[in-house]
Amino acid sequence: MSDVNLDNISRFVNELIKKGFDDVAAKVEVVDSVMTKIANSSVSIVQNWKRTIVDLYLAKNRRIFVLHFEPKSFKDLQKHVDSVISLADRVTESPIYAPLPEPSKVRYVEEVIDKRVIEAAHRENIESVAGMMQVGYNEIILSSSKGALLEEKKTFVQGYLRAFAQPDGSGQWCYTSTTLDLSGLESMAFTASRYAVDSRNRSEIEPGVYDVILSPMVFANLLEYITSMASAMSVIMGWSMFMKNRPGDVVASQLLTLQDEPRNTELPNFRSFDDEGVETCNKLVIEGGVLRTLLHNTKTAKYMNTTTTANAGWINPVPWNIVVRPGSATLDEMVSEVRRGLFITNNWYTRLQNYVEGMFSTVARDAIFYIENGKIVKPVTKIRIADKLGNILKNVAIVGRELYNIQWWEVGIPMKTPYILVKSINISKHTI
Amino acid sequence: MLEDLLLYALNVASELGAGYAEARYHKVDSMGFMSRNGVLISAFSEVSEGIGIRVLVEGSLGFASTNIIDKENIRKVVEIAISRARAHAKLLKKPIEFSEARLGRARYIVVPVKDFANLSLEDKVSIHREFWERVSKGSVREAKIPVTTLSYNEWTEEKIVMNTDGTFISSIVPRLSIHYNIVVHHPQRGYAQRFESFGATGGLEWLERWRLIESGEEEAKTLEKVLLEGVEPPRDPVPVIVGSEIVALMVHESCGHPSEADRILGREAAQAGKSFIKPNMLGQRIGNEYATVIDDPTIPGSYGFYLYDDEGVAARARYLYKEGIINEFLHNRATAGIFGVESNAAARAMDYASEPIIRMANTYLKPGNYSFEELLEGIKLGVYMKSYMEWNIDDERWSQRYVGLESYLIENGELTKPIRNPVLEITTKAFYSNIDAVGKELRFYAGTCGKGEPSQGVPVWFGGPDVRLKSIRLGIAL
Repeated sequence: MSDVNLDNISRFVNELIKKGFDDVAAKVEVVDSVMTKIANSSVSIVQNWKRTIVDLYLAKNRRIFVLHFEPKSFKDLQKHVDSVISLADRVTESPIYAPLPEPSKVRYVEEVIDKRVIEAAHRENIESVAGMMQVGYNEIILSSSKGALLEEKKTFVQGYLRAFAQPDGSGQWCYTSTTLDLSGLESMAFTASRYAVDSRNRSEIEPGVYDVILSPMVFANLLEYITSMASAMSVIMGWSMFMKNRPGDVVASQLLTLQDEPRNTELPNFRSFDDEGVETCNKLVIEGGVLRTLLHNTKTAKYMNTTTTANAGWINPVPWNIVVRPGSATLDEMVSEVRRGLFITNNWYTRLQNYVEGMFSTVARDAIFYIENGKIVKPVTKIRIADKLGNILKNVAIVGRELYNIQWWEVGIPMKTPYILVKSINISKHTI
Repeated sequence: MLEDLLLYALNVASELGAGYAEARYHKVDSMGFMSRNGVLISAFSEVSEGIGIRVLVEGSLGFASTNIIDKENIRKVVEIAISRARAHAKLLKKPIEFSEARLGRARYIVVPVKDFANLSLEDKVSIHREFWERVSKGSVREAKIPVTTLSYNEWTEEKIVMNTDGTFISSIVPRLSIHYNIVVHHPQRGYAQRFESFGATGGLEWLERWRLIESGEEEAKTLEKVLLEGVEPPRDPVPVIVGSEIVALMVHESCGHPSEADRILGREAAQAGKSFIKPNMLGQRIGNEYATVIDDPTIPGSYGFYLYDDEGVAARARYLYKEGIINEFLHNRATAGIFGVESNAAARAMDYASEPIIRMANTYLKPGNYSFEELLEGIKLGVYMKSYMEWNIDDERWSQRYVGLESYLIENGELTKPIRNPVLEITTKAFYSNIDAVGKELRFYAGTCGKGEPSQGVPVWFGGPDVRLKSIRLGIAL
């Protein structure tokens, strides 16, 4: 799309208003990125994207339409918009309709680019690595019929690496940032490699109840589900464990405080304004174990008789960046507190039996260690956590003092999470 | 003409030194509605349209895409794909080569029995209202239904694939999909929840076959029964009849995925993982004579339907496990080259901005000859797990878990009490080795399978009959 600029987008929004829509918002996103995929310590493919994505929000007589295109030009969109006009009076009013709000302001970060991670990984004596390295540039322009005309640019660096060590060791770690930080990427590679080497010669353990140290990778994966369920739309739609809660309820250990931080420019999902043009703010989602707020846009806020938290999504409010308040323990101190437990460094395939009850399981993956009397005894394998998300939150016993930047294939929302110790987690494994 | 532009891309790539080039025009046009409790939250429409270019340069694979379909931009993306592939060629341990293949030159269009335009917009909207009214008011007695959601989506995928080896494949495939969520609540017994998905290739004819509203009513009734009357599963090992819905998912997860040759070779190791199947395991036993799993893209009406893959290779049924033996892997041309076989046409891309990678299409366990009553016969104490919500499997596709939603105790050959949250947690080999009877009714279920980086979701069916397992110890979810 060659005609992307503030004037053209603003003009386009004005034309849509003239066509009879009550509310119009246009979000244009330009993404320019390169991803190198690594397998067996070799490049398996280099992928390049330069995409211009146009999202439109249109409302007429309280009917809501959300459109997504990748057009050649704004002119190309006309026929699609015209077809919506013919639908506008034939669908029913949306129960969550609210007029678009007034707009807000902007901030920028510097552009960055990088590579060089495979070499760092090979400094340990490992067999092979697999992973991904992506660098990119992202630009968002938002215009609304309320007069918002906002623009934000950023860069991002994301990577993750899985290292393998003979005969059966593996470790995985990741890194995400808006700026080039070689130490973060190198640390990612070292951590993955160290866990691969340390987790060789695994044995099996019996299922049961254990105290478990979750790595920042595992905690972030679980928080992805939990914070997505804190979206008010998830609650409205019956996809949330917080259906049973109200702000003010105790939902977690008093040691746990987590915040949505759209204004944290260290993490790639920082945003100065949300999709409704409202200035974003950092906010406590859980403070000292107490649910402080759900995540709202103006529609869900009106529906629930509260105010927006600037997390739009035109329909679905979304977390931006999640940051856990650090505690004071080192990982070694945490291990020394465990009498009979496990240390799980990575997981995947989290699925729920019941979102409202938070009943879930997730497969522990890569390095897993059995701990006895305050010491790591041996690497183990083939287990899963099978419990309730609410129990995980409530049983947090120690929070680590160092935060790690986490985002990878199993964690889409950028996060800063620590190691945590959770008491009495149910661990399952296959019976035959 | 799009064909001329694709040909132009191939010519530019050849001029710039690509040993192989492939250009794919790919458009996905969808529209639909999302509702809560019968009322529309919003209508939506999405169009993704562009050209993806893949090149092989000095054994290095490069991919780039554009949604600006003109010569100038196509030349640019070809140049980018080639220059970046070339830059990484020196990092390769071994150059990538494509195998010979049965490449097609064909056009095909799936023609719906009932076109999407055959139902008025008002009627499509009214499906949502009727679903809520019937499910919420007629199906439960003591419990309440606080929420149902329904998503209706009709979409058409249009592709033209050309490559420097002579492929020309043009296809148009319409699809319909519907998803619903039902939450049932009882003040003393808590919540139960069901997500259900339907999907197929074709048009509105599927609405009648799916019996959407009746399905919702039945599910809500079942959820209430499980909540109010559900008992724990037996603690000791018992025969288990695994319902076709769960069998279908099991063969997708524990046969289809581990049979993907790219996974076997480690290409997905950092994402979806490796495979317990190693390159030299063809011919090894994984189960008994009942373990025959087929993946067939050519099933008419199937959600994963295609006749040629995105490398232009003619599709056919693949017998992944055959009578208990690991028989065949899913291949694209690159993995087929490594294994010295012909591609069996498993390369698919989600959209123009995605590289084609190895995917399942419609994976199913071969049916046997038992009726359901015959499967029950002779079981003094056992369990029938009909449906599930929670499942997962480890990244080698060996240890897997399925938590039953609608499940029953079997006593003296009859279904008796509902069981709440029984857990089948079993290794792949144990599952395929413990089947002792297979039902004769093959049923398919729709899903969107995720794989790749960036993750690509593609439509698939998975299928199977009910099967009976010998003695299995079940767990219970908390």
